[in-house]
Amino acid sequence: MKKRGIGIGSMYYGLGYGYSRPDIASATIELCEDGSVIVRTGTVDFGQGSDTLFCQIVAEELGVTPDNIQIVTPDTATTPDAGPTSASRVAYVGGNAVLNATLALKRTLNDVAESILGEKKLIFLNREVRAETSGKCISFTDLAKACHLRGVQIVETGWFNNTTDDVDPHTAQGDAYATYCWATQLAEVEVDTETGKVEVLRVVAAHDVGRALNPSMVEAQIEGGVVMGMGYALTEEIKQEKGYRGEISLGEYMIPTSLDVPSIESCIVEVPVPTGPYGAKGVGEPALIPTAPAILNAICDAIGIRITELPGNQKNLHRLIQEKEKKTMGSEN
Amino acid sequence: MNRIKTTYVGCSTPKVDALDKVLGRAVYAGDINFPGMLYGRVRRADIPHGFIHEIDVRTAEAMEGVVCVLTAKDVPGNNRFGIAFPDQWALAEEKILSVGDAVAIVAAETDEIAKDAIHAIRIKYRELPPLTDLQEAMADGAPQLHVNKIGSYKKKSGGHHYPLGDGGPQHDQKKRKSEFLHNTKGNVFLHTKVRKGDIEKGFAQAEVVVENTYKTQVVDHVYMETESGVGKMDEHGNLVLWNACQYPFRDRSQIASVLGLPQNKVRVIQATTGGAFGGKEDINVEIYIALLSKATGRPVRMVWDREESLAYSTKKHAIEIWTRWGATREGKLCCMEGKVYGDTGAYAGLGIFVVKKCGIHLAGPYHIPNIRVDAFSVYTNNVMASAMRGFGVTQAAVAHEGQMDELAKQLGIHPLTFRLMNALDVGLSTETGHIMTEDVGIKPTLEKIKEVILRDGSLATYREGLM
Repeated sequence: MKKRGIGIGSMYYGLGYGYSRPDIASATIELCEDGSVIVRTGTVDFGQGSDTLFCQIVAEELGVTPDNIQIVTPDTATTPDAGPTSASRVAYVGGNAVLNATLALKRTLNDVAESILGEKKLIFLNREVRAETSGKCISFTDLAKACHLRGVQIVETGWFNNTTDDVDPHTAQGDAYATYCWATQLAEVEVDTETGKVEVLRVVAAHDVGRALNPSMVEAQIEGGVVMGMGYALTEEIKQEKGYRGEISLGEYMIPTSLDVPSIESCIVEVPVPTGPYGAKGVGEPALIPTAPAILNAICDAIGIRITELPGNQKNLHRLIQEKEKKTMGSEN
Repeated sequence: MNRIKTTYVGCSTPKVDALDKVLGRAVYAGDINFPGMLYGRVRRADIPHGFIHEIDVRTAEAMEGVVCVLTAKDVPGNNRFGIAFPDQWALAEEKILSVGDAVAIVAAETDEIAKDAIHAIRIKYRELPPLTDLQEAMADGAPQLHVNKIGSYKKKSGGHHYPLGDGGPQHDQKKRKSEFLHNTKGNVFLHTKVRKGDIEKGFAQAEVVVENTYKTQVVDHVYMETESGVGKMDEHGNLVLWNACQYPFRDRSQIASVLGLPQNKVRVIQATTGGAFGGKEDINVEIYIALLSKATGRPVRMVWDREESLAYSTKKHAIEIWTRWGATREGKLCCMEGKVYGDTGAYAGLGIFVVKKCGIHLAGPYHIPNIRVDAFSVYTNNVMASAMRGFGVTQAAVAHEGQMDELAKQLGIHPLTFRLMNALDVGLSTETGHIMTEDVGIKPTLEKIKEVILRDGSLATYREGLM
């Protein structure tokens, strides 16, 4: 028989390293004579999208387009240390470092533009700097050239230190992290009580990311996380026998395939954190965390069995279903 | 906080790396070629625990196309490394602690020759019984897998290791000793204690109590690109290395220490990286490539097969969580007690931080006034566990969300309503006593899901009792 069930899972996740582990990022920004911009930072983008975020942040502040910005690949000889890409920290810590460098450069640009235009209150937008009241303006390219001719500082460094105070070592009490990410997901599953096979039909994922700097990248993180969480709940396991693992291939180690991916509805919730760039928190890890709990609770809703040992694969679930049936039959007799 | 009006921030601008990746133009470490480049392979231990009696590399060295074979005696600098503390050997010296420990490395003219050569290396062992069960490993009198104490690791440490006691001005070295490495008891190298409120008082108030043990399994990251890198010595005697990584600066410090070079003579450059999920935080190919490049003076590339990656890369921790939660009849959480046991395998990696993070997130996004949690990181002869997406919180959430649904069931309250009743909010405190301010966001996510349940006809069965 096929039985359907619905379950939810919530989580919170301390962003960054917390409890006094060093947690820094730095970035430099350089304005070229033609108005193009180079950002050097040691933040690794291994696919999650930080290079894109950094382009957006610089473009936002300087009023240029993202394609005007070149992010240099992390290189210990040419880019400054930005800490690891981990702990869902990059948008927040790395983003703040890039933002700080950009704001430092913007102050110089603003001073030069003020002296050229003879106006205060300037707006950086559409590749030009415009005086809010008179409308007088200078193109970003001309402003860059003027900066070079005047010999003002056109290389700036941004630093962000997210190292928190430590918690009490005897009680772990204290402000462990600078901020936290929050999420709730709902899963709908169908359990085949004959075989123990679980099909995830649908996941709705509500994530508080502070501010979604790039909504489609947030959705991509959530979708990837949900699929990874499905594998964690239902199929994946590295088996060990007395310390031996034997030969493992992707034939035996089962990750979800594209055919297993259910409908995933991402709901972006924005409760900004004042210390984050534009209010942003993180989403990299939170994306995955509530999925397995939501699926396990949905299975329990469907068939009344609480899986306490992962994975809830077909073999394990089939055994649990049979055990439960035996028990019920036993009590009926 | 006021929302700032923006032009690019908040927009779904295309990913800057997307086009190169879909058109196949992105250069991954495995795509990098240099003239005269050699191929590196690792000869790994076949047993989980024991002493190396003899390593015979003569046949491998004599094979045509084999350029060099290195063992522990050939390591020019410190043969120890590790992120938290250097408890790993670059190349095994005398003891094997896990299947897959690197015993020898080979550089050859082709990858096929290098593969044949590692099989030609003969290792004789004196085997010891493996310690693979958490409780056995923790028992008094269990064989100590690591004889070194933290103190001696620290003295030998040449790198940029996350310090145990001197990470920042706030650290109190003496206090920290109480937390790390309780050598008195088995192989526990971290014991984090969470003590909030009064646990006895909490359970005295509890009218409904739910107790369970949750066991999570070891899993792999399965990134699309396996571990890979290329290295060479440049004309200034610097080692230059391109790799798939998460943090080139920490790779640099660990490589430099093993090579016996100052950190400014090692240059690590990130190649396009095909996913990581925590699995590329620890050293994988880097030190082997560096040793082989330095020994041969030629560029060396190493790319792990998928099977090698699945078997020998770092993993997500298997964590066993016993936990007991209490609530009042009205549905207010009043206490939580837990014991968290993390199997970090043969080497610590980031295991201390993962298991600690699990322990200090066990209460979930809820306000619980009285808490007692003990979290232990334990060495065993199992596969090394370190960072993976979720970092201990994935495991904690399996437990806290199971507890929440079981309590809700016993109380006859809808699971979502029960969560809303106990969710953290401004002025309430987390498990570590962190009092929440304006950025607390759990209730809005619960409300969002509630909205979907109420809106969507197909979820009608889940509405009963929802408030």
